[in-house]
Amino acid sequence: MSRWLKWVVTPLAALILVTGIAGGSGFGGFFASLTGDAGLALAAGESTSDSGKTIIMGTSPDYPPYESVDAKNGGDIIGLDVEIAKAITERLGYTLEISGMDFSGLIAALQTERVDFVMSAMSVTEERKQSIDFSDSYYAARNTIVALKDSGLTTEDALKGKRVGVQLGSTQEEAVMKMEGLGEIKKLDKLPNLILEIKSGRLDAVIVEDAVAAGYTDANPDLSFAMLEPNPEDLGYAIAFPKGSELIPAFNAELQKMKDSGELQTLVDKWFNTKSGVKSTKKGIDFSVLNGYVGYIFKGIFVTLLFTLVSAVFGFIWGGILSLFKISSIAPLRWFATVYTSIFRGTPLLLQLFLIYYGTPQLFNYDISPLMAAGLAFGLNSAAYLSETIRGGIMAVDKGQREAAIALGIPYKTMMISIIFPQAVKNILPALVNECVALVKESSLVSIIGVADLMRRANVVQANTFKAFEALLLVGAIYYVLVLTLTSLAGLLERRMRRSD
Amino acid sequence: MIKVEHLNKSYGKNAVLHDISTTVDRGEVVAIIGPSGSGKSTFLRCLNLLETPTGGSITIDGTVLTDPKTDMGLVRQRIGMVFQHFHLFPHMTVIDNITFAPTRVKGLSKEEARAKGLQLLERVGLAEKADVYPSKLSGGQKQRVAIARSLAMDPDIMLFDEPTSALDPEMVKEVLAVIRDLASSGMTMLIVTHEMKFAREASDTIYFLDAGRLIERADPETFFASPQSERAARFLEQVL
Repeated sequence: MSRWLKWVVTPLAALILVTGIAGGSGFGGFFASLTGDAGLALAAGESTSDSGKTIIMGTSPDYPPYESVDAKNGGDIIGLDVEIAKAITERLGYTLEISGMDFSGLIAALQTERVDFVMSAMSVTEERKQSIDFSDSYYAARNTIVALKDSGLTTEDALKGKRVGVQLGSTQEEAVMKMEGLGEIKKLDKLPNLILEIKSGRLDAVIVEDAVAAGYTDANPDLSFAMLEPNPEDLGYAIAFPKGSELIPAFNAELQKMKDSGELQTLVDKWFNTKSGVKSTKKGIDFSVLNGYVGYIFKGIFVTLLFTLVSAVFGFIWGGILSLFKISSIAPLRWFATVYTSIFRGTPLLLQLFLIYYGTPQLFNYDISPLMAAGLAFGLNSAAYLSETIRGGIMAVDKGQREAAIALGIPYKTMMISIIFPQAVKNILPALVNECVALVKESSLVSIIGVADLMRRANVVQANTFKAFEALLLVGAIYYVLVLTLTSLAGLLERRMRRSD
Repeated sequence: MIKVEHLNKSYGKNAVLHDISTTVDRGEVVAIIGPSGSGKSTFLRCLNLLETPTGGSITIDGTVLTDPKTDMGLVRQRIGMVFQHFHLFPHMTVIDNITFAPTRVKGLSKEEARAKGLQLLERVGLAEKADVYPSKLSGGQKQRVAIARSLAMDPDIMLFDEPTSALDPEMVKEVLAVIRDLASSGMTMLIVTHEMKFAREASDTIYFLDAGRLIERADPETFFASPQSERAARFLEQVL
């Protein structure tokens, strides 16, 4: 009956409102700091009496000491890169805003001008130069070999015939490609995963830069590192800009001043002497490293749930409409629904997420918030699957129900909403619950565009603590509890719906 | 009040109704009988356009049903229909089944509709079942609720499509009693039925259909005493 409709519509309206607020800049603070990696937090801290020119920096805050989330204190993004950026932009009269996202999303963010520049320990490579521009280098790190303590892998020669890992797209990748006689080279996106590969014996060594290597060996007593010879050809790290950005000369000039005055070196010393990681003496799993991070991770529950709810409700309503299209007597509606379903089912969700988040600002000139883009992508995708499920549910409702409604003179819309749909939903409830469970877990994909959900937060903590398993196990347990709660709620709902049997 | 002219219905090449013409007067009770597959139900379902005729016309009180411009929603509000398998809405209580259309389609207030619904339940002898779900009812009770649901829309005409065929024998009686009561109240009714005794006692006119044709139309006494066609005679021989 109408109550049924209200259950669906009221939360949806509320959620659209909430995401609108979270996405827009109006409320800034609370939602932004919850949903984005740090989002507007820094900008909010800066005085607004400046000329008000805001400049946005993109970074992937999982690479201490260059950039990391200060998860123990408020969740701001901190690090060497951030301080250099602050110093430069302040002098140029900008208010700095930091947008945290996955490393793999940074170049797309530059190209679509979602950010004005990127500082993320990004090394200059010929490949990247094709699509973006770089400032002068601000730091060149020394490469090291990280390996098990007793492995004896301390020189480049010792690596001959060994399995060596390296982070994809890093300076170290280029260095490794130039090494001769390596047994096998493995490239992965995330450093913590490479460290895991050593521990599980699938790799013999990983090539990592010095500051990061120190962090990992501190946190993992079974590992040690050894310096490699400096590489004179290494171009080091630089600030990245969209192709042809007018900011580059000004940034280069300020950077040069910082180098000349010794300010840059002071910052480097400050950050490289700060032990941002944890010292652990245990070889295995050590949950004590999560001390201080639990609150930060728990905040992700809200984000994951909000996001799941938005996409589930949106997907359900849109999927319901699509299912009506599919059983409609109007051929173009049927075609539309069929093509829609085949496209959204036939392409990867991650790709849809990318296109919506980075494509919307270009196509519609609307700065869509990560949370909204993710809700939209997942909702649209989920609707494609649900439309089939709901269609099946509708077809399974006895034809006589329709005839009885028609014979009573009940209009089509009322009939569908109040008579056919409730019965269809009851039929497909188990399938709907499955879809929701899938959404909760798939939601971890959104971390790629910087939504600070559970998974993203686990990655951040993983990077901060230089320990691979602990944060993952914690969020794994949280996901499990969430899904368990969801399924028992669904069980309650199902019993309630079955009271008419 | 109901005027059927040259009604034809076919599914593809398969003709189900052939050139049926007849009129039903206000207050007339028509029992439609005939062998299975003769098109009885299809004929009945054409009268509120649950089946779309492929030829001919149907006019009710001057409204041409077969005209595509006719608002069938309005027409159907005036024609109640009772199905062989009841088709109660399983997710609604008995009283909600009855008040749904009056409140949502006719705009009656909830209180008004409920009062009226309870009155109708009283009439079909089920006042105490108002707040239970249909799954808790017997077949006979379900059919009586279905009748009350149709009556709640204040129809001028009632169509019954084999209302007792799906019932256990001991429940047939209670449903027929309700229909009989309705017939005596002056409602225009068309009833597709296999209950010959009931047809004979309760109807004003018998329609005998065979192979999609309206072969005989007569008052019950005449029809049952001396059927005109050889086909009807043979049919009566088999069922009586």
